[in-house]
Amino acid sequence: MTRNAIASILALAALALAVLAPTRSTAAPPEQPIRYTHKVHVTDYKLDCRFCHVYAAKSASAGIPSVAKCMMCHRTIATDRPEIRKLAQYWKDKKPIPWVRVTELQEYTYFPHFRMVTYGKVPCLTCHPGIDKDDIAVQRQEFGMGWCLACHRGRGVSIDCWTCHI
Amino acid sequence: MLNRRGFLKIGGATAFAALFGGCERLPKTLVPFVIPPENYALGESLWYASVCRQCPAGCGIVVRNSEGRAKKIEGNPLHPVNRGKLCARGQAGLQALYHPERLGKPLKLDGPRGSGKFREIPWEEALRLLMTGLSSVRAEAPTALLMLTDPMRGHRNLVSARFMKAFGSPHRVAWDPFGQDAHLSANEAVYGVRDLPEHDLAGTRYLLSFSGDFLETGVSPVHFGHAYGRMRAARPTVRGKFVHFGPRLSMTAASADAFLPVAPGTEGYAALGIAHVMVREKLTPAAAAAGRLWNAGLKEFTPEAAGKKTGAPAADIEAVAREFGSNQPGLAMAGDAAASCTNGVFNLSAVGLLNLLAGNVGKPGGISFPDRLAAFASFGAEAKLLLPAAESGYPALRDAVERMGKGAFRMALLSGATNPAFTLPPSLKFEEALLKVPTIVSFASFLDETTSLSDLVLPTPTYLEEWGDDIAPAGHGGEAITLGQPVVAPFRDTRSMPDVLIAAAKELGGPAAAALPWGSFRECLDKAYAGMGIDLEESHKNGGIFSGKADAPRRAPKEGSPALPKAAEAAFAGDPARYPLVLHVYPSSALSDGRGANLPWLQELPDPIATAVWRNWVEVGPKTAAALGLSDGDGVTVSSPFGSLQAFVFLHPAIAEGVAAMPLGQGHSRYGKYAADRGGNPYALLPASVESATKAPARHSTRVSLVKTRMKGALVRTVHPEGQWLYENIL
Repeated sequence: MTRNAIASILALAALALAVLAPTRSTAAPPEQPIRYTHKVHVTDYKLDCRFCHVYAAKSASAGIPSVAKCMMCHRTIATDRPEIRKLAQYWKDKKPIPWVRVTELQEYTYFPHFRMVTYGKVPCLTCHPGIDKDDIAVQRQEFGMGWCLACHRGRGVSIDCWTCHI
Repeated sequence: MLNRRGFLKIGGATAFAALFGGCERLPKTLVPFVIPPENYALGESLWYASVCRQCPAGCGIVVRNSEGRAKKIEGNPLHPVNRGKLCARGQAGLQALYHPERLGKPLKLDGPRGSGKFREIPWEEALRLLMTGLSSVRAEAPTALLMLTDPMRGHRNLVSARFMKAFGSPHRVAWDPFGQDAHLSANEAVYGVRDLPEHDLAGTRYLLSFSGDFLETGVSPVHFGHAYGRMRAARPTVRGKFVHFGPRLSMTAASADAFLPVAPGTEGYAALGIAHVMVREKLTPAAAAAGRLWNAGLKEFTPEAAGKKTGAPAADIEAVAREFGSNQPGLAMAGDAAASCTNGVFNLSAVGLLNLLAGNVGKPGGISFPDRLAAFASFGAEAKLLLPAAESGYPALRDAVERMGKGAFRMALLSGATNPAFTLPPSLKFEEALLKVPTIVSFASFLDETTSLSDLVLPTPTYLEEWGDDIAPAGHGGEAITLGQPVVAPFRDTRSMPDVLIAAAKELGGPAAAALPWGSFRECLDKAYAGMGIDLEESHKNGGIFSGKADAPRRAPKEGSPALPKAAEAAFAGDPARYPLVLHVYPSSALSDGRGANLPWLQELPDPIATAVWRNWVEVGPKTAAALGLSDGDGVTVSSPFGSLQAFVFLHPAIAEGVAAMPLGQGHSRYGKYAADRGGNPYALLPASVESATKAPARHSTRVSLVKTRMKGALVRTVHPEGQWLYENIL
């Protein structure tokens, strides 16, 4: 093997490391400060997504509910469960809960929730499939450009570059 | 084999992979609010209207609040004073809000008195200490309580005044180094009204300013800046002309059509020279008054005499007088440097005469005295407490310092931005006297030279976090009441001074509790304004109550029968042989009287003339500098008979010869890491002398010497004056 070939292989390996490292595993759920379950809230008790993610309809970001919002119900509901006690402790200490981000967007893209939710009437589960059945939420759908464009084309909405890359 | 070059290539690629491969996408946690702020909507901005308190001008502001944080301060477009504009100091208010050195817990002295060493204590303990002190003083000698603040306005002043009255102490002192005592006295002498006037700059055709740096400092710089723009450019056929007299080319002077340098303290003579020409050449509509003045001695004040006194060419004074007299409405204004000489009232009265001779009193484009009390008729005798107080409070403060020294006070309550330990001449020995008061309690957001002397410091919210109301001292005819509201939830564990006073009064009981019958300061404000029959919520949205209709201005009873002011020379301390230069000090356009020095945005804001940042300098003219063997950038020791400091020389291309000028504001010994140790404090060069008629501080009353000294570093400037201004092209 020539010296150049060794160098090329090493360089390719280094490049592969650079490219592959940021991709995420969709399987392992992250370690959350509280084991919050979407399944109980959404599937069992039929809460609307927007009951907690109130800003989805009017803001770019759907938002994570405030501790006060959680305590609206959990002041009285299931107060003896260990995870709810953790929540109550946050409330008592007046400390915010440092939730670990689950769903990540590609860099350099703009995803305004309110456009999809309010004007596109896209159901939440289109982009967040299966989250209603999750005990601990994971991201099952990678938001690759092809996937986004397929939906945009199917619905006949803009595929101009700066619709998403602004 | 790999050679060195190949190894580096691969090494570089691996480093790239390690660097960017390990870089995961942001952010990793999503932290929601515990309790979201009122009206909060993620990703949406909310704008709250409030009042600026970065200086006493009282501009209206609107603050962008996003995710519960204040992000940007702008001028309130509905506010008559600043009409949507805001200065750099106003913009920098955000840094006061987010300042890393802001006090967030009560502090108790933890070291020798005056050491500035404190430890944090809980509010319960702090209030217990306060109440123990107040109760014992009240029981034994209520008059031994001193309250020393900056001039307050609105209900914050009313609460303090009622508290002190009910407590039984008459010793309530408000200190403002840039008080307008001389203006008040001159207005009383010339117009017969002891009040602050409104100057209709926007409507005038010819503006004369006598050391009035109204565009950068002074009573209301944003208001005057906007009005000045309208005077110059808002009328289709008139472009107002502006001539500036003064010892130094300030930013305002640099905006003038003509700048005539005059010796410090001779502004009055320049004005009388102009008045002489107006009367002699019958360029005044006030013929009767003119005759009276002429016979009273105005005929002696020829332009030649004025030229001799001031150093300005007599021909120029004459030319200006002819233009001023024949371009009506004309307006004459005077500023701090003319007012704070020992002959301040003479200077200002002489300038006032020009307005009388121009016949502009109460007219558009002229000077008027609005009836600001009318809006508060329902408040009765207390209405005066709500209005801007223009006095410096210097005589009362000197009296208080004397009493402190004699041990007359057992407790002092301090508050406000005017920082007497920094802004008073050292010969008054304020610090020494204050430390003779056994208990000193400060209400403060920062530890400055004065609050550091306290035994107990109670942290207050910044103006962006509290309720309040304000009446601006200029820019409206009495029709504007500004309302302040918190634009963010308070960041730190703070309580406002009126809230603490209301709580203290409740605990003291008796007359104090009856005088302050509210649950909180907000309740006090709400009740007061609800009584005026306005929609309070709507007013808060607008940032105040702006009726847009001012009552007719008050009459000026002496308008028809003016008296010639008695000519007086400005006195300067120091032997001219030993101290050859006259010291001219001016408030820095960024740091004001020194209160802005702890905000890095203001520290790094280049001075509009010197373009220097982060420290101070001494300005001298090129001829004076050459005579002293000084060149630009030299280190010098500036000495007055009262103190000395070191500074870098800035060769000012347009300053009266024989004058050394310094900006005030730097030279803090405390007040945090951004303010401390940035050059000397020019207040320390000043004598304790007073303006002869009003007993207000006379800052422009000393001589100094400059001696070349080796200094470390250099003055940092964005533009070197030699590059920008080439002296030989100007002189």
